[in-house]
Amino acid sequence: MDRDGFPRIAKLKDGSSVEISLAGAADGPALLDFYRSLGEEDRLVLTDDVTTPGWLARFLAKLELGAATSLVARANGCICGEATLYRNLHGWSRHVGEIRLSVASDRRGQGLGYALAAGVVKLAIDLGLEKMVAYFVESQSAARKTFERLGFRKEAELARQVTDIRGAKRDLFVYANDVSHIWAAMESLVGDYQPHEDQ
Amino acid sequence: MARTEIRVGGLGGQGIILCGSIIGKAAAIYSGRHAALIQAFGPEARGSACSAQVIVSDEAIGYPYVRKPDILVLLSQDAFVQFAPQLKPDGLVLYENELVQPEGKLPATARSLGIPATRFAEELGRRLVLNIVMAGFFTGATNLLSIDAVEKAVIDSVPKGTENLNLKALMKGYEYGRGLATAT
Repeated sequence: MDRDGFPRIAKLKDGSSVEISLAGAADGPALLDFYRSLGEEDRLVLTDDVTTPGWLARFLAKLELGAATSLVARANGCICGEATLYRNLHGWSRHVGEIRLSVASDRRGQGLGYALAAGVVKLAIDLGLEKMVAYFVESQSAARKTFERLGFRKEAELARQVTDIRGAKRDLFVYANDVSHIWAAMESLVGDYQPHEDQ
Repeated sequence: MARTEIRVGGLGGQGIILCGSIIGKAAAIYSGRHAALIQAFGPEARGSACSAQVIVSDEAIGYPYVRKPDILVLLSQDAFVQFAPQLKPDGLVLYENELVQPEGKLPATARSLGIPATRFAEELGRRLVLNIVMAGFFTGATNLLSIDAVEKAVIDSVPKGTENLNLKALMKGYEYGRGLATAT
């Protein structure tokens, strides 16, 4: 186990176990298999076409660069869930990370999404990020509840922002979790400053 | 009696006092030794001169001030100019090599080791863990304290939620310090 605590075993509500580990280049083919196994309904509103080798190459390049950090959940040798933290290494949003989450349909409702999302939130804090965002469409109520349990709150609602793969326009909900207070405490601690009591 | 006098010097906002405190805690609480910490800072919250005096000893400490430091941990040029002349002849200077140029003023027999701690901290994600990189560098380069004891002191000292990044910073500095210490 590395310092981030992975791989780790997560117990699901149905009594089964999955292994959650940091994704690397070796997970590429299995990730592609996982995304290709998702039904069209599940891929309706994904940001990228995650079923193509081109997507996988770009994804692995981001992992290598540190612009993405991903957790995969495995059961019986197959990936059954994946959560990724994307971040800009430069620019005005370098303190913000975006989280994307996918769970196989037969594993939903068992706490796997929460375990993956919680792991990625912890990784984001460990990377020094101050804010995390996640995007949902109106029908993804279970995923929104999962993120709300992790401290995310709705920050914006953008009407007709998403065109799903069938061409329908959907509303986009922007959820965010501001964890800057954690780093503010550290900043205060390294302040090397002790005001007099009468100040 | 083994008594080691350490001076940590830099600027307010670099976490100088926390760095000294971690060294002291690691010695006194997690290594069963004695330690004393004296802190000094300017009136501003940021940017003024700041230093910590740490004594680590196998016996009770009667006099808690640093007279002739065995080890200097320096994070600013001003701190180098001020404290380098006080170093013991066979002392050790550990410095942030993008902030400090160790020119002149050191005893001829003294050793000095530099680390790009600011760059390491930024690469890890947060510049403000610079002081923890330096605490790790101190641990790896001096062998005065065990890394286990310093790890516990870091966990005990930093805000909840920041432990992992701080421990990564500690290990980054530790491994760099170990590498330099074994190479020289």
